[in-house]
Amino acid sequence: MTGETVAFWVVAAALLASSLAVVLTPNLFHAVLYLAAALVATGLVFLLLDAPFLFGVQLLLYAGGVVTIVVFAIMLTERLVGERITQASRHVFNGGVVAAAVFVAVAGFLLQGPATPPRPPLAGDTTVAIGRALVGPFAVTLELLGLLLVAALLGALYLARTEE
Amino acid sequence: MPSFARHALEAAVVLGALVGLVAYVTLLERKFAARLQSRIGPYYVGWPHGWLQPIADGLKLMLKEDVVPARADRGVYNLAPIVFLVPCLLIFATIPFAPGLGVADLAIGVLFFLAVSSLEIVGLFMGGWGSNNKYALLSVMRAVNQIISYDLPFIFVALVPVLLAGSLQMSAIVGAQAGLWFVAYPVLGQLAFLAFVVATLAAENRVPFDILEAESELVAGFRVEYSGMKLALIQLGEYAHMLGTSFLGALLFLGGWLGPGPAWLGPVWFLAKALAIFLLVTWVRWSFVRIRVDQILAISWKLMLPASVLLLLATALWVAAGGAGAA
Repeated sequence: MTGETVAFWVVAAALLASSLAVVLTPNLFHAVLYLAAALVATGLVFLLLDAPFLFGVQLLLYAGGVVTIVVFAIMLTERLVGERITQASRHVFNGGVVAAAVFVAVAGFLLQGPATPPRPPLAGDTTVAIGRALVGPFAVTLELLGLLLVAALLGALYLARTEE
Repeated sequence: MPSFARHALEAAVVLGALVGLVAYVTLLERKFAARLQSRIGPYYVGWPHGWLQPIADGLKLMLKEDVVPARADRGVYNLAPIVFLVPCLLIFATIPFAPGLGVADLAIGVLFFLAVSSLEIVGLFMGGWGSNNKYALLSVMRAVNQIISYDLPFIFVALVPVLLAGSLQMSAIVGAQAGLWFVAYPVLGQLAFLAFVVATLAAENRVPFDILEAESELVAGFRVEYSGMKLALIQLGEYAHMLGTSFLGALLFLGGWLGPGPAWLGPVWFLAKALAIFLLVTWVRWSFVRIRVDQILAISWKLMLPASVLLLLATALWVAAGGAGAA
């Protein structure tokens, strides 16, 4: 086994364990911390796949940004409500069934393909390629995503305003 | 695997040098602050001028009793200093101290720095929450507030030199400044550097942006319940982050290791520039008064964010018009 394979299995195990912990731990704050660990592990998977740009963005936006905002929300609501919010995963069985179905589908798809196809060599700096793709062929898509986010922000503002 | 061993050795050397440097940077700050206030600062431990003070401080913190609050969330509380420290040290992985001298000169250098240093907040709120202390929690809520507000301007400003150099790689950014340092670029350079210093102050929670450890109201903020070695780890992380950001500033705006003299002077120049930025930040810290939460947020959202976006836009237009001739 190469070092890369070992690293993959370690990261994969950490990712699985922390993802399971997110849904199974009763303490909401611990769940967020496990979520942060899972997001960092996902970033490491990107790194192992030679996608350093995605790794950076994953850490910056998800582990640094989204987790922070979720923690902020928990802190505000817990102190406002004045009691510990516990996470009651009520639909563990149904969730398990859906997860198993997805796993079977993905595994079936993977087993149909050729066994371990050779990895294509990297062509130059992937970061530059991503940048050129975003302002070239995918420019309209990028702008549409921006529009979607603005719409979501406006919606959030509207919801927050109705209370007054 | 000899290359693996070599990387491990390099990382160990950088880490050791870093911890030593951080220890002495605390002494530098104390002496500098003392001079600003017409004091002398540490003097007798390691006479003259307290050369042994950082070592004495470290030993003292190591020998102190480790007090864990009875109602703390033990796992989170114990893990927090480590989670806080690791990103603060990791940011140095991608900083080259001279051409080819560093742990890894990644192609995504600046992005790696920004991404990893944004993880520090996780350790911060773990500490604040795990302590189960009102002051710590208030402090962390302020911290989260402030870091959400100042991360964006910081990132936008750090992207100005990236745009000018046309690369995220640290060594390429320094290379692009061979003709003229980015801070010397007319108007753009100075504004960007000014915004970088302000955003740095906020990102490091220094006065005037230190509401999260405001000693007169919150005692010491999120680390009020920490003692002994854990407190030492947190302080090590804070100073390492400060030093790392100073190095980043020297790389992005002050031409990194470029300077007159032979090539082996490069790391010396680089260190001097980084320490100059550190002292500038310290100078501000010891000269200004703390400002209120709402003022901090207003400065961020109404001034820093629009200004940094406009700055980035102006840089992009300038580069698109063929302005960055050297790059």
